[in-house]
Amino acid sequence: MNFQFDNVSHMLNMDGHGAYVWTAVVVTVLLMTWLIINPLLQGRNVFKEIAREVSREQLRQDAVKEGT
Amino acid sequence: MNWNWFYRMGSPRWFYESTSRWLPWLAALTFVLLAGGLVWGLAFAPQDAKQGNSFRIIYLHVPASFLALAGYFLMATAGAIGLIWKMKLSYMVMKCAAPLGAVLTFLALFTGAVWGKPTWGSYWVWDARVTSMLILLFLYLGVLALQYAFDSKDVGNKASAILALVGTVNIPIIYKSVDWWFTLHQPATIRFTEAPSMHPDMFQPLLVMILGFYCFYAVALILSVRVEILARERKTSWVRERVKQATQNTLGAGL
Repeated sequence: MNFQFDNVSHMLNMDGHGAYVWTAVVVTVLLMTWLIINPLLQGRNVFKEIAREVSREQLRQDAVKEGT
Repeated sequence: MNWNWFYRMGSPRWFYESTSRWLPWLAALTFVLLAGGLVWGLAFAPQDAKQGNSFRIIYLHVPASFLALAGYFLMATAGAIGLIWKMKLSYMVMKCAAPLGAVLTFLALFTGAVWGKPTWGSYWVWDARVTSMLILLFLYLGVLALQYAFDSKDVGNKASAILALVGTVNIPIIYKSVDWWFTLHQPATIRFTEAPSMHPDMFQPLLVMILGFYCFYAVALILSVRVEILARERKTSWVRERVKQATQNTLGAGL
């Protein structure tokens, strides 16, 4: 198993095919990253929403207790 | 026969809690496989004698296509289980598999297009394989859109499950298209029944990438199913308990 290119610029150029190969790589990596980041962000938002609901209910319960 | 395991598997809470434990490990494994396989394929696998370096796109194109097809099977199966046993979790899996599969199908088409330009001289051809993959993309988008086309969530789930099931007809057509029709697309590199038509030095990194994509699919799907579970089970006591604990922990860390 050997490194197939002479240097970094040779690897970027890939004998004229670099533009195709690297476009495919960049688009794939970006979209796959988005597939991971998106549910993580959404999950955080849902978590925060539920936390707000929970604390609001807690306040209401406390108020009821104080009232009695 | 004891069916307890089956019902337990249908419990969103069980799914959420058990995936919490092993998801980080699976994510780490996925990253190692994908990073390793990509560097191996892009820099260390030997050049193709006919296609030169453009063949390296295979390390993205084939795994993405594999998962686009396998993901469709999974989505349709989840839809069928939802229709038959009315399992909530199963519909959640179906719903989350649709956008994931659509992105992977798009990637298969996109990487195919940039591979097609230097190899066939054209980004796009209306070839049997390429066209049936485009239909797969539309099926995924259809399942996705049907979810939101009805006021009732239940009706939306049933409609998309039925579309997903009908669409499975397309899967063997895609798989066999390169054999049934005279196409520009090269025949399959990997077959279940024969040895791969590739030198081991090229084939090994491809295998690593396919394995990595399978793990990636599992991680991405589980992540979005977990969000779906949290959102739908927000009124249940176990979700509330979890949220309370988590907010207390962050508060404690903040203080």
